[in-house]
Amino acid sequence: MSAASTTSNKFVVGLWDHEEVYLHAIEHIRHKGIEIYDSLTPFPVHGLEDALGYKESRLHTAGFFFGATGMTLALTFMTWVMTTNYPINFGGKPYWPVPSFIPITFELTVLFSAWGMTLTYLVRNKLWPGRVPRIYDKRTTDDRFALVFDAEKLSDADISSIKEVCKKEGAVEVKDKVFAENEGL
Amino acid sequence: MTDNFEFTDKLKKNLFIMMGIGLLGLVYVFLLYPENSHARLWSNILANTYYFTGIGLFGMFAVAAGTLAYGGWHILVKRIFLSLSGFLRIGGFILAGIVVLGLLNVHTLYDGVKHILHEPVVTPNHTTKVIFFAPVFWVSRVFVYAGLWLGFSWYMNKFFARTDQTDPKVYKQSKLLAAAFIVMFALTESAASWDLIMSLDPHWYSTLFGWYNFASYGCAAWAMTILLVIYLKSLGYLPKVNENHVHDLGKLLFGFSIFWTYLWFDQFMLQWYANIPEETSFWVKRFGHGYFKFTIFLALIVNFVFPLVFLIKRGNKRNFKIIGFGSALLIFGHYVDFFNYTFVEPNWNHELDHKHHAKVETEKVVLYAANEEHHTTATTTDATPAHDNTEAVATEVKHEEAKHEGESHAHETGAEGEHVGHGEAEVVANYASINIGEVLVFIGFLGAFLFLFFRNLAKRPITPENDPYLKECERITVTYS
Repeated sequence: MSAASTTSNKFVVGLWDHEEVYLHAIEHIRHKGIEIYDSLTPFPVHGLEDALGYKESRLHTAGFFFGATGMTLALTFMTWVMTTNYPINFGGKPYWPVPSFIPITFELTVLFSAWGMTLTYLVRNKLWPGRVPRIYDKRTTDDRFALVFDAEKLSDADISSIKEVCKKEGAVEVKDKVFAENEGL
Repeated sequence: MTDNFEFTDKLKKNLFIMMGIGLLGLVYVFLLYPENSHARLWSNILANTYYFTGIGLFGMFAVAAGTLAYGGWHILVKRIFLSLSGFLRIGGFILAGIVVLGLLNVHTLYDGVKHILHEPVVTPNHTTKVIFFAPVFWVSRVFVYAGLWLGFSWYMNKFFARTDQTDPKVYKQSKLLAAAFIVMFALTESAASWDLIMSLDPHWYSTLFGWYNFASYGCAAWAMTILLVIYLKSLGYLPKVNENHVHDLGKLLFGFSIFWTYLWFDQFMLQWYANIPEETSFWVKRFGHGYFKFTIFLALIVNFVFPLVFLIKRGNKRNFKIIGFGSALLIFGHYVDFFNYTFVEPNWNHELDHKHHAKVETEKVVLYAANEEHHTTATTTDATPAHDNTEAVATEVKHEEAKHEGESHAHETGAEGEHVGHGEAEVVANYASINIGEVLVFIGFLGAFLFLFFRNLAKRPITPENDPYLKECERITVTYS
């Protein structure tokens, strides 16, 4: 979820092969005061946000406002058409038949909130077409759970201590990952 | 260690007092409202029994659905769901009894159906209705539901206790039982809603009525479960149930409230738009009367607007006070919903129906005329011809109306001797209201429901210790910083 844009190019990547061990490792690593840059998993892990200490997403608040926009638009447009622009009598119903507006209003509300939330999500995570993302390890889409640490400003001693902690917490592999300048940003 | 619920004498005494209050309420309604052979008393019994039977059925459905879906979230409250079915020991049979007594002319609730069996007018689907409501078929159907519900509630409680407490190997077999229950529930629940509630107004159709009742039951059952969980926790039971589990129940309560509204609106809008007299007479009766107009909108506000505004927020669903208050309110709201369906007395009446049909027709024409006038004056200056024309149509309709009334009178007198059971007693349109009698009867039925629930709950340990999904349920913890 978090793809914070920094100028770091040097990272330490720890890889785990089991969800349970991974979750406990995150808790212990955070407890030691080590900052985690990113977390990558092959599938949604229950309780991961909690372990990483993430704040509740504000995406649904955005969704509410998108939905409200769609609802207002639908009601306003239909009211304008049916009462002012082109009033037609349908089977003796009133010129402002509110009950028959509701299905369309509902659909537009859903459409606006769905599209709005999807686009907001893509923009916030910089997932627009043509972007080349930074890949820390290809196996995170298969069977590995990765923790990424920002190593740009860390001393060698700190880096080796992070590696040691990861190994102790059950990481199957710990490696350095260095990107070329501005690669995939 | 045993964690059986202890059904204390104090609680028993309180519940017996509630049942006593209910009995008092029945006597009160019996004495004060003798119209239409005490129809209001029978409406009270029917509405309350139907409501609580539904909650009991839905409790079993929740467990069956959870079992079939490999669900883990409900395991800690599983025994509460199953114990809700305690009311089915009597519920189904009271409902069957009401149908039998209706056919024996003890009360007038089902007079519409009795009339349709002999009605000379062939309305659409008239033949099918005559077959469907043939007394023997009808009564045996209702008894079959009652028997099936009783049997399943007894067997499911027993079987799930076995899988939960002794041998996890038989857990797989419980899937078969759950599947059988779902099939039985789907068939009997919708058919029972036609037989018991929709038949109160035999001309009125609603093809989604079974679903609609299912949604009502759902809301009421989740709400009841939340309240019982909070109550049991306050007594010190269910130590492992926390706000995460209540949150899950709250989400279902919220979702089912929206589902209920969806069905309510579907039913209303299609009938409003199609404007078929058989269907609209149902709404004309209710919207045409001040109190019922009020209760219909009250039900919509309590069952839709309230959950939409107050239960959509995550924190509110995790706060025991807010979700508890909301649950109590929704239990009341869905009672009001059933009140709207059962308490128009008589729901069906030959004479009144003709009047309503005529009224619908007149309103349609008048409405059309008003619109036409508005439109023509808006576009052209000369609107007199259109106006005159509609005036003439409206008068014609009034003539029609008068003719219909005459016919129906003639028909009533002609049919009297043959079959109309309630004899010479005049049928009057009596619109009930939720007053002291209804409240007392509801408290009584709630007492009976809770008594049977606690009795059922006390029989077996609350926690299903050998359920393979118990650990998953205990571990649900999602807290944002």
